[in-house]
Amino acid sequence: MLEVPLSLYVHIPWCIKKCPYCDFNSHELRSPLPEDQYIDALIADLQQQANIVSGREIVSIFFGGGTPSLFSAKNIQRLLISIEAHLSLASDAEITIEANPGTFDQQNFAGFRNAGVNRISIGVQSFSNDQLKELGRIHDAQTAIDAITAAKSAGFENINIDLMYALPKQTTQQAADDVEQAIKLDPTHISYYQLTIEPNTRFYQHPPNLPNSESSWDMQQHGVALLAQHGFQQYEVSAYAKNEFTCIHNTNYWQFGDYLGIGAGAHQKLSHVTSGEILRSDKPKHPQQYMQQALKQEPLATPRVLQQDDLVFEFLLNALRLKQGFNRQQFEQRTGLMYELLTTQLQHLCEEGLLLVETDRVQFSENGYRFLDELLQRVLPESA
Amino acid sequence: MERIRNFSIIAHIDHGKSTLADRFIQYCGGLADREMSEQVLDSMDLERERGITIKAQSVSLKYKAKDGYTYQLNLIDTPGHVDFSYEVSRSLAACEGALLIVDASQGVEAQSVANCYTAIDLGLEIIPALNKIDLPSADPDRVSAEIEEVIGIDASDPLLVSAKTGEGVEDVLEAIVHRFLPPTGSFDAPLKALIVDSWFDNYVGVITLVRVIDGVIKPKQKITAMSSDRSYQVDKVGVFTPKRTETEVLTAGQVGYVICGIKDITVAKVGDTYTSTSHPAEQALEGFKEVQPNVFAGVFPVSSDDYESFRDALAKLRLNDSAFTYEPESSDALGFGFRCGFLGMLHMEIVQERLEREYGLDLITTAPTVVHEVHTTDGKVSYIHNPSDLPSSSHLKEIHEPIIHASILVPHEYVGNVITLCIEKRGTQKSLTYHGNQVSLVFELPLSEVVLDFFDKLKSVSRGYASFDYYQSHFAVAPLVRLDVLINTERVDALSVIVHSDKAQFYGRDLAVKMKEIIPRQMYDVAIQAAIGSKVIARTTTKALRKNVTAKCYGGDITRKKKLLEKQKAGKKRMKQIGKVEIPQEAFLAVLRVDKK
Repeated sequence: MLEVPLSLYVHIPWCIKKCPYCDFNSHELRSPLPEDQYIDALIADLQQQANIVSGREIVSIFFGGGTPSLFSAKNIQRLLISIEAHLSLASDAEITIEANPGTFDQQNFAGFRNAGVNRISIGVQSFSNDQLKELGRIHDAQTAIDAITAAKSAGFENINIDLMYALPKQTTQQAADDVEQAIKLDPTHISYYQLTIEPNTRFYQHPPNLPNSESSWDMQQHGVALLAQHGFQQYEVSAYAKNEFTCIHNTNYWQFGDYLGIGAGAHQKLSHVTSGEILRSDKPKHPQQYMQQALKQEPLATPRVLQQDDLVFEFLLNALRLKQGFNRQQFEQRTGLMYELLTTQLQHLCEEGLLLVETDRVQFSENGYRFLDELLQRVLPESA
Repeated sequence: MERIRNFSIIAHIDHGKSTLADRFIQYCGGLADREMSEQVLDSMDLERERGITIKAQSVSLKYKAKDGYTYQLNLIDTPGHVDFSYEVSRSLAACEGALLIVDASQGVEAQSVANCYTAIDLGLEIIPALNKIDLPSADPDRVSAEIEEVIGIDASDPLLVSAKTGEGVEDVLEAIVHRFLPPTGSFDAPLKALIVDSWFDNYVGVITLVRVIDGVIKPKQKITAMSSDRSYQVDKVGVFTPKRTETEVLTAGQVGYVICGIKDITVAKVGDTYTSTSHPAEQALEGFKEVQPNVFAGVFPVSSDDYESFRDALAKLRLNDSAFTYEPESSDALGFGFRCGFLGMLHMEIVQERLEREYGLDLITTAPTVVHEVHTTDGKVSYIHNPSDLPSSSHLKEIHEPIIHASILVPHEYVGNVITLCIEKRGTQKSLTYHGNQVSLVFELPLSEVVLDFFDKLKSVSRGYASFDYYQSHFAVAPLVRLDVLINTERVDALSVIVHSDKAQFYGRDLAVKMKEIIPRQMYDVAIQAAIGSKVIARTTTKALRKNVTAKCYGGDITRKKKLLEKQKAGKKRMKQIGKVEIPQEAFLAVLRVDKK
């Protein structure tokens, strides 16, 4: 019996306003939110797949977006009930919802909590009003603080704050101030990540004036130190957690676990129970098309089998993001390949001092951790 | 023979040679309209793109003149670039006359002047014709005065043409018939045929374009290429109309092709003479010389897996280009490749481009270098094609470098700039002559200075008006040193250059800065040093990359991330790994970009 952990991702593809740096599948709301209909579609999507994962326990659920907090607690609850009906949800499952401080509502937060959501991730990004404006966010610093307070009053004990650095014209001091402010609000988890310009975003077309690589490096170093001082341990490239509050859902991605993905444009990865093959698939991106197809009970995706080369690459892409790397058993179980096959391939990276390859574990050297993308380029399978 | 006219067109790039040739073909019905692809004579894609002729071509046309007779007009096209001056001289040697085409809105260019002088030396009649007279900016009076002053031929009554509209084309054809002499020669004398061009055809082997001077040439006949002394039996002869059209015989005075089972182009070199094997001529035609490459560069496949296919491609290319040479070379930095010899920079670019385009190869070319004559302390003299081959300073007595005789034609307002440039390039002024608005300058210049960026500089200091022609004249001693580049203290052989000692200091510093700009930041500091012998004269450092890791990555869509990494990797694939350092291809040409201002 397979023991690869299984998570569930739920995508909510709408936002009040699209941020200029965002390349996720999110759409600005131009008409009333088709909440009920979308929840129906998600349930239909779920029903299509329930039997593939029957008997497997769900360790975490993540409502991502978009802005999931735009949805009413009532509807989130309706979906959660349906999920429990179709899948076996672990009793201690981590259930996260992403929230935008610009749309928070005390009542709704409490509703999410009552529906069973036990972790909330708040997209603060910065506590500087100027920066927030620059980033096209719809909230200001005070609203962000209020949202976190509201989450606590609503009963959330596991709270993540998303924070960005290397923002347009940002100084090292300003970046540090943001980190300190976040720490003061006493969350359990902070995602501290660098703003990068992705293709197909507004910033890509009109690049803002970003700090150079030296300053952003300083910001990162400074941020990491501050976070560590206050008990936030880095466990992934951009993730910092207090006292074992690491994010179970994201850790499962990084450990190359399985996940179902429902919703417009959602991706999923599942190990085939008998063959051990790994199948990836993704749902129609556009919300309207997704809903139509789902509600008509049409098949939503065609799975692709991962080839061996890709398998190794994708495993490393995820697993090496984690500070602790991975061990033999994880690699062999998650990829179905032999550990020695991998270590031979990684030998030269080890000689260069990028990686520590031991008989039972692979992880980055202190220096190598900064160069994950360099490493990945070297293990990238030759494309046709 | 009375009704044959053999002629060439002398023209500068863009002055309308090909368009006019097309008009002739159309006028004489050589091709149906639909067969006239843009410009017929420039048949290689590259030629068409660059608007220049690389290989000589010919076309035989039937023209019914106003006197009622039909004439055979043989147009022998000439290569249009300074690198190919010998080929031009052989094309002209096959003619009795040359049309000088000058853009009526522009004026005479140095290259046309040089080619006219060659034609005059060979005893050709020259008819000046002003093209593009339909342009509002055309100034025929000024331009014909310029022709008279600069070239010294009578241009008081030039032909006025617009190849574009067709105006005046018939007058040109009439002038060809009446002002050029028919060829002379004897049908009965032993065969003498001048090889004007040769190229390799996949189906029939080498095709040679010849001008028959004496005698006849026909299938089954045995002929000998006199300089290589190799004999062959003629398979086919014929003419280009411009389509390849077989005939029974080529007789004295005619221009056409010969196919005789030659597999190797080097036995039928441009300028050589075919004669009859059984009744050979006593002497070959004058003027044959072996063309020697002047510019050398190392060319290496980016991926060592491509070495074999690269070698095959070179061999194939050589089939069509006897001026191009190559020999194996191995570099510590770049692995196995070839040191290739070219007539000049354009020739080098063309070869490189053909290799990449036609054979799909990814190549790294080192900075071009000239041949140095090296005198060692033991009294020996050798010629080196590669800076790495320079003997150590303890054995070195003198280094001599090739000097060219450069003719430059420039409007007088830019003459100061041009002289400054030539002096900066270590030139010695030989003469300066005013022809109205134009100034003709002669300089002796080291070829190495011309090879790097002279053309571009000349164009920029004269706003594009200066034109240039050269031939190599002699070797002269100079205080030259080898400048090495060290990457992380390792000498990169492919980056060594030979430079003048006065310029070495500056050169080294500039090169080190350029290299720093070109070499991307990587996981480690990269130390770049320029050194002469053991003395480091400049140093720069490409600082290590701080990090290269994607900030945010949550399971989901891995394909996008993968594409991004693939793109980054593809960029690196074109780089060369030296030790731990990845060096982009541009680095090997950075020397070219060193600005000596």
